[in-house]
Order: sequence, then structure tokens, then C-alpha cells
Amino acid sequence: MNIAQQIVNGIVLGSGYACIALGWTILLGVARLVNFAHGQLYMLGAFVTWYAVTRVGLPYPLAILAAMLVLAALGLLIQLAMMRLVMSQNLTSLMIVTLGLGYVLQGGSALIFGGNPETLPGTLSRARVELGPLWFTWQDVLVLIATLALYGAVWLFTQRTRFGSVIRAVAEDPKLAELFGINARVVYLLVFIFECCAVALGAALVAPRSPILTSMGFNEVIMTFVVVVLGGIGSIGGALAAGLGLGLFTAFFGAYVAQAYTTAAAFALLLALLVIRPAGLATK
Amino acid sequence: MTAIESRPPASMPLLRTACIVGVSVIGFFLPRLLGGTSAAYSTLTTIAIFAVMCYGVDVVLSYLGEVSLGHTLFWSIGGYTAANLSVKYGLNGWDTALATIALCVAAAAFLGAVTLRTREFVFSLVTYAAAVVAYEVAFNWDAIGGSDGIVGIAALKLPFVVTTFSGATEDELWPVAFVLLLLTLAFISRFRRSRLGTTALMVQMNPALAASLGVNPRRIRLAVFIISAPITGLAGWLYAYQRAYVGPDMFESYFLVMMLTAVVLVGRRVLIGPLIGAALLIAQQNLLSLGGDWNKIVLGSVLALVLIFWPAGLVGLYRRLSKNKP
Repeated sequence: MNIAQQIVNGIVLGSGYACIALGWTILLGVARLVNFAHGQLYMLGAFVTWYAVTRVGLPYPLAILAAMLVLAALGLLIQLAMMRLVMSQNLTSLMIVTLGLGYVLQGGSALIFGGNPETLPGTLSRARVELGPLWFTWQDVLVLIATLALYGAVWLFTQRTRFGSVIRAVAEDPKLAELFGINARVVYLLVFIFECCAVALGAALVAPRSPILTSMGFNEVIMTFVVVVLGGIGSIGGALAAGLGLGLFTAFFGAYVAQAYTTAAAFALLLALLVIRPAGLATK
Repeated sequence: MTAIESRPPASMPLLRTACIVGVSVIGFFLPRLLGGTSAAYSTLTTIAIFAVMCYGVDVVLSYLGEVSLGHTLFWSIGGYTAANLSVKYGLNGWDTALATIALCVAAAAFLGAVTLRTREFVFSLVTYAAAVVAYEVAFNWDAIGGSDGIVGIAALKLPFVVTTFSGATEDELWPVAFVLLLLTLAFISRFRRSRLGTTALMVQMNPALAASLGVNPRRIRLAVFIISAPITGLAGWLYAYQRAYVGPDMFESYFLVMMLTAVVLVGRRVLIGPLIGAALLIAQQNLLSLGGDWNKIVLGSVLALVLIFWPAGLVGLYRRLSKNKP
């Protein structure tokens, strides 16, 4: 009976992981770029939503929109600044630059939002749904539906539309794509802005579940790494499956083994997989 | 600009040795030249410790051209080893240092071996994740300190032949930090000329040539990573004695950003670059501090801006400026 509840918890957790990891998956999968500020962008998305709801008084849906706009603008600036490194595919420098920018975001957010833990007020996250012995909240339902819809839309967009193939062409070879009249800079810019919007949306949806802190970015991002690598680095379906699988794993591990060491267990899972299948689960 | 600095001609080995000895002696008496106050001793000791910490990352980043985001793990292994072994078992400094080296090598060998067949950025991801996970373990595992850490680490004791060297105060700790720094510099300078160091550089600069010579870049990565770990670990070892406390805050991303910034600020592949970088950054934080959050913004911005605008660091900037002069 408890097992059924753990499955529900696992799906709830896993849809959250997948939702937050979507932006990174796209960035890595279709543009071959990395962004180590992802955790701090998540933190910022959560805090902008919190600020818009509690200080400005916007309703929740508008606050989500505000967070996405703020992060899109920020993403535009960051990507413009890094454009030379992006065009030369200098991954080493990009990793370090985004890490530094993440640190700046952390310091800046602490200045603006203060160092105290805050809670995103959400009516949905307190509305419990009880199905016999099982329970979850309407916020969980919203996260799951939004995650599935987003992954579906992104999959259709990248695999079935002309712009999707343009993005993949740029990822394969930016210089060659430019010969065919594609403006690679604009494509990179749009993909990066999409990543920022996606992580803002994910943060606004997932963050009401737990208290938020300006210093949380460093730790929040690890589950994203696990999802992306488990899912086969950039595979959209793989990331969704990995997110849900990881959610189930952490729910059961937390309930039956040790709550404090769930992240460590997820990491052990990742290491084991890297030894068995270095390219991830989704590859043949 | 791309290769290591050309070495001074070997025709004047005496002069070169004399220069090194002279600079070392001046460096040793530097705190006294700066007034001999306890602030001078503690700032310079901190600079020496942080510089050694940065040299671990420098080996991987400058000579291998890859990014390890897990060196806070080795830094913390050093601190926790020193704290646990000296507080619980009363071991002296030599023993804790040896244990630090052994544990760092073991941890690096494990992480490196697991990521041996993966792509470069997966290596960075895994090292980053390893540090986060180690933080959670250190935070939750009460046997090694838990969330409170370990307080009251006794003064560093290094029995040497007939006498015992003790590092109870900052001015007594300075010689240890200075010697550790000199040993690190000697090691790095030796590494740059070693077979492994030159092969690593070849893998970074000309992967095709390396492959045609039968070099396996991933094995080189593993070897360089393992060598780099104890350097940062020994810095953490001394840091534990300096602060007399270790806790989960040793895993903070501050140390990671600090290591990377110190290396790229002056320029990669410059022998004393990380030392100067660490000195500049510590001086900013100790003498011109703007408050914790602003210091974060300064440190992160320096790291990002240097790589975006002057990828070759201050050395590259200086070269460009001097080249433009008529």
C-alpha cells in the first residue's frame, strides 16, 4: 500500500526533475553547448516568481510569465557576451564562464532578495487530492501535465519542423550551416533564450514545493546532470524517461533506505551507468 | 603564446639558481618586511595556502586543457583528514599529510577511472557532481563531523630529526605554508618538463599528432588528474590547522570559483600565474572587501570577463599592449 504512495511520490519528484532538466537537454542536445549557471538560473526563476507574487502582487500565471521574460532578457545578454566562445565551440572556456556567471547571479540575488529562505505561496500546492490512501497536490498534477506537454511540444518541434532541422544542422557544424545561409548566431541565441525560459518555467512550477534560498543553485543542479547524462546527453525522450526513473529511484531510496543520502545514491547510480554505458542509456 | 614559456638558456645555471635562492629568501622574510604584524603573517599564510590549492586545478586546466570542477573535494579531503586523524587519534602532521595524499590519490583515481571512457564535459559534470555529493555526505555523516564540523583542531606538530616543529600561531605556521608553496612550485616546474607534462600539452595543443604517436588522451587525463589531487589536498590539510576548524563550508563553490579565477586571471601555463592570481584575489577580499555578496560578484565577474575578453589573461593583455606600441 505504501508502495503505491511511493510510486506517486516518485512520479511527482521525477516530473519535477525532468521539467527542470528540459532546458539543459535542449541546449546540450541540439546546440552542443553547456551551461553551468543552470542551477543559479533555476534559483533566479524561483525568486523572480516569488518576488512577483509576494511583492508586486501579480497572480501566479502572470508571475510565471514575468520570470520567463526576466530570464529570457538575461539569457540574451549572457549569450551575446559569450558569442565568440560559442562560435568557436570553446567548451572549456564556456564551462568556466558560465560557472563564473552563476556565481555572479548568486551574489547578485543575495543582494536583491536577501539571504533568508522564502516560500512561494501557492494555492495549488496546498490543495490536496486524496484517492483512497494515496495523496498528492494539484501543483503536482500541474507539473506532470506541463512537463509531458512541454516534452511533447519540444520533440515535435525539433524532429518535425524545418526550424528543428536548422538547429540540428547548426549543432553538427556551425560553419557549414552558415554556408547554407543559416545565421548560426541567431540560432544559438534563440536556443539559449529557450533554455532560460524553460528553466524559469520549471522553477516557477517546481519551486512552490520547498523553501527557496539564493544559495541553492549549486546543489539543485546535480539532479539535472544526472537526468541529462542518464538520458543519453541531449536525447529528449531519454531525458523524460530518465527524469521519471530517477524520481522513482529517489522516492523509494528515500523511503526505504536513507532520506539524507538520496543525492549520493543518485550519483552512485550515475557512476555505475558511466562504467557500463559511457554514452548514456538511450544510445543503441 | 600558445606553448609554455621558453626556458631560460641553460648556459647560466648558477645565475638562475642564485635568482631562485634570492627570491625564496626574500619571500620567506616578506611578512617581516611588511611589518611583521599578525595580519601580515595571516594574510600571507592564506595566500600561500590558496595558491597551493589553485595549483592543483592549474595542472589540469593549463597543461591538460580540461576542467575539473571537483577539486573542492580534494581540498575538503585534506581538511577532514587532518581534523579527524589529529583530533580523534592524535596523529602528528606527517601522518595526516600522508593520509591526505593517499586518500586524494584514491578518490581521484576512482573518479578518473569511472569517467575514463566519457567525453570531456561529462568528466567536468561528474567531478562537479562528486563535490556536491561529498558535501551532502559530509553534512549528514556525524562520524566525520556532520553539519557542525570539527572544532578545536590542535596545533600542527611536525617532528623533525631531533626537534618538533609546532605551528600554533600564524607566524609559526608561515614557514610551513611557505615551504609547501616552494615544494609545489618546484613540483609544477618539474612537471612542465616531464614526459607526462609535455604529452598532456601535446594532447591539448595537437590531438592529431598525439593520436598518431599512439598517445591515449584519456589515460593522460587520468594520470594528470591523479597527480593534481594531492596538491589541492595538502593545501586543505594546512588550511584545517590554520583555522583549527573544518566543516561542510569547505565544499562551498567559493573555493572552486577562486581556484579557476586564480589560474585564468594571470594566464594559463604561466608558472607563477596561480600564485599571483591568488595573491591579487585574496588581497582584494582581505584589504578591499566590499562585503560577501559583492565579493562574489567581483570574483565571478573577473572569471567570466577575463575568459570572454582576454582569454590569455593579464600576461596576454600585456603582450598585446606591448606589441601595439610603435
